[in-house]
Amino acid sequence: MSISMALFSPLTHPPSLSRSIPPQPHPILKPHLSLGPLKASVFLLSTARASGDNGAGTSASGATALESDVDQKISKPPKPVVQKDESSAGANGSLGATEAGEVEVVSKFEDTRWIGGTWDLKKFEKDGKPDWDAVIDAEARRRKWLQDNPESSSNDDPIIFDTSIIPWWAWIKRFHLPEAELLNGRAAMIGFFMTYLVDSLTGVGLVDQMNNFFCKTLLFISVVGVLLIRKNEDLENLKKLLEETTFYDKQWQATWQDEAPGSSKN
Amino acid sequence: MATVPHPLHTTTFKLPLPIRTEISHPQTLRFKASLSTNAPLPGRKLRAAVIGAGPAGSSAAEALASGGVETFLFERSPPTVAKPCGGAIPLCMLHEFDIPSHLIDRQVTQMRIISPSNLAVDFGKTLRPNEFIAMLRREVLDSFLRSRAESLGANLVSGLVTDIEVPNTSSTAPYVVHYTANNSRHALSVDVVIGADGANSRVAKSIKAGDYACAIAFQERIKLPDEKMAYYKNMAEMYVGNDVSPDFYAWVFPKCDHVAVGTGTVRAKQYIKAYQRGIRERVKPKIAGGKVIKVEAHPIPEHPRPIRVRGRVALVGDAAGYVTKCSGEGIYFAAKSGRMCGEGIVKASEGGDRMIEEEDLKREYLKAWDAKYISTFRFMDLLQRVFYGSNAAREALVELCGDEYVQRMTFESYLYKRLAEGDGWEDVKMVCNTIGSLARCNIVGSQRPL
Repeated sequence: MSISMALFSPLTHPPSLSRSIPPQPHPILKPHLSLGPLKASVFLLSTARASGDNGAGTSASGATALESDVDQKISKPPKPVVQKDESSAGANGSLGATEAGEVEVVSKFEDTRWIGGTWDLKKFEKDGKPDWDAVIDAEARRRKWLQDNPESSSNDDPIIFDTSIIPWWAWIKRFHLPEAELLNGRAAMIGFFMTYLVDSLTGVGLVDQMNNFFCKTLLFISVVGVLLIRKNEDLENLKKLLEETTFYDKQWQATWQDEAPGSSKN
Repeated sequence: MATVPHPLHTTTFKLPLPIRTEISHPQTLRFKASLSTNAPLPGRKLRAAVIGAGPAGSSAAEALASGGVETFLFERSPPTVAKPCGGAIPLCMLHEFDIPSHLIDRQVTQMRIISPSNLAVDFGKTLRPNEFIAMLRREVLDSFLRSRAESLGANLVSGLVTDIEVPNTSSTAPYVVHYTANNSRHALSVDVVIGADGANSRVAKSIKAGDYACAIAFQERIKLPDEKMAYYKNMAEMYVGNDVSPDFYAWVFPKCDHVAVGTGTVRAKQYIKAYQRGIRERVKPKIAGGKVIKVEAHPIPEHPRPIRVRGRVALVGDAAGYVTKCSGEGIYFAAKSGRMCGEGIVKASEGGDRMIEEEDLKREYLKAWDAKYISTFRFMDLLQRVFYGSNAAREALVELCGDEYVQRMTFESYLYKRLAEGDGWEDVKMVCNTIGSLARCNIVGSQRPL
């Protein structure tokens, strides 16, 4: 089948797919072979960065054409491309070929401390104990790298690392405690000034304020506010969240809404 | 199930009602305390047209025909056309719909879910020896259900339905189904129409049921060399990650003698090909040497249509939008909704003897359906929103799936469509683990690398 991979020089470091913007295919290298043109006029044999829209009539699958040509010299019907590993769904907009052949995945994550699909904790040791902060940082870097350079999953070297390997107190110490300190500080400041304000306006002291239901409600609201609204964007996020949570339900109930205004029969 | 006589108001009708056990599975009868005010049909049976003979249509036709309603089942494609579909059905469907085991191509007992960082977790440790996910070819399943409906009395019409004429006065004016068969146009008058014609439903258009958001599922069928195929003998894989789909998952499902590699998305449909490339990349070593034999795509509804019943027209299956989020499962719900709708009509019309009205459809079918399944659908929507939102959340999902309790609960609810009896303490642990995993993975995902 497509063992013609050997014909192509290995891919250079492919930029591959980024997150939300139109992902770019792996660049097709200029093949330095002289093969009979299959549909040479149609295929662009450059490092084509055909954008993800299949509206682009240019097929960057020069490799596709060449590969299929190499493999199936026997038959040259106009549609052998479909028969190959490279998918070319539809006549236009065929994809940049990802040769499903024996090409090594060049863009593998490499790190001296990443061994056998997991982080070697011994390499992170500081004073005889693993430095969990460094492990977290290393993993964060690895995942970020993988976002931009997705790797093939292979059965031969499985990934074993998952975040539960890092002990719970390491997380708390590094992430929860500073945030907790911040929030508690905010709550304390708000509490102090509100107490002072209420006292100066109404003459009710701290202890008496705590006994009052209205004050307790205000206290509750401020605590919840401090917890939920930490950044400016949080207000918008909360509103969106509320809307999203009920949206699906609204779609299901839509069929019953018709009944309400005058129970229309058709 | 004992017969429950409906308290008929008119004393002229003293006939005992037909025993319901002719329908081949247990059915919960609801004691209708209200009177049947529907007009009896003079000397004929209720006529129903079912448009579309997929799982939904065939089940509806089967329920109608075996209940005594004169049924016409319309189908435009010949029975051998393969539908682009995962083809996985849960065990409960095999039991409830009496699907013979020789139709099953493969019994998937292992499901592997792979995170964006390629952490792979095997689902399936908790499956009992007789439990599996059945993989079938849609054309095989559809033909079987269709011929069963036909043998029970449904009239199969091979033709393309072009229009449904909806009468503008309610009451008893019939619906006219215009269709083309054998290169000639025909028309058929019926009392009830069930639209089971899929995501681009013509019936839904005729009754102005409104639109729904669709996901697109795109897959390539790839024939693998034998040694690679052996890996997929009982294994199906699910891949998650922004490189393969921004809001859904990509899959490798084994079929009869090849694998289907595909992906889907709702909001990034124009980039579906790039996502397909992404999944091919991710699976590269496992499908190396494979040959693409077919490429197909299909819309998958994301939520129900605004109107599912209007007049004496009901929508079932994909036409109604009964596809769960998160997993995209639709075959079982299509068949079940078809059956529930058919049975509802049979019940409301008392075996085809009475005319039915919109309220009957709403009460017997829609209400029953919503009551039974809305929490399932809502839960799957919640799962999708929480776990498919970002790469960090997907990592957390895969981490959580390693837990045996989670696996057991997931499979129980998928295979039997019922809320598995959980262990209270384990539930609490699961919730804590969920929060913990999400927190950890979000932290790792958002760290600025130094």
